[in-house]
Amino acid sequence: SQPWVAEAGISLHHFSGRLGEQLVHFQAMRLRDSLFLWVGSAPLLGSLAVAMCSPRDSIPVSTSLLGDPSDTTSNSLAQRLARKTKKQIFVSYNLQNTDNSFTVLIEKRIKEEMMAFPEKF
Amino acid sequence: MEAKPIVASRQRTVVVQGVPTEVVCMAFSNSILVVVTQYGKMGTLVYVDPDVVNNDVGRPVLTTKVLLGQDEPLIHVCAKNLVSFVSEEAGNKPVLLAIALKDKTMEGIKALQEVIQSCQVW
Repeated sequence: SQPWVAEAGISLHHFSGRLGEQLVHFQAMRLRDSLFLWVGSAPLLGSLAVAMCSPRDSIPVSTSLLGDPSDTTSNSLAQRLARKTKKQIFVSYNLQNTDNSFTVLIEKRIKEEMMAFPEKF
Repeated sequence: MEAKPIVASRQRTVVVQGVPTEVVCMAFSNSILVVVTQYGKMGTLVYVDPDVVNNDVGRPVLTTKVLLGQDEPLIHVCAKNLVSFVSEEAGNKPVLLAIALKDKTMEGIKALQEVIQSCQVW
């Protein structure tokens, strides 16, 4: 009878893509009003950032939780996904390649999957 | 053509001491992620890190650090109680714990330990 019970719980969803000659894995975990998204080519958890929309600013606020704070890829990806979904977004980006042109492909692959399986995000 | 997942994960939904609870565990090569939630959210993020260097008894000292959320003493105690065995069994790997609990009683924590154990991926 509680909304908690009626609602679908945490959902795990894996997908992958060959991007710039590299096989990239994605592991999404949808929680209530939030999403955890891991990106990598080896099973490493090296960085973690969180972002959420701010009522005062059009750019979502973000912070680095784990890893090298000067590596801003997890941060900016979390910000862009928070802006798109309006959810609290956790991103762990674990690829060597952090070029803008490459992360654009990563983001495109994520958005593709979001379109195809909205219930997983 | 979909590649197989490279991060092992297990998930369970159970009622613990009357409270609907979700547990998710993911195994990374350098750490284990454990989510224990009775609110459906990530809640507080705690990094539980075994310090093997600083002792000679063989049993590592665990340090806990709140990465996100309210940093209160009880959360450190809960974190250590819930996942120190995970760290140990995984070969002294750090554990990233996401924790959102309604029931923080000792009985509740003990029951949650068993649920985490049943999601063993390490």
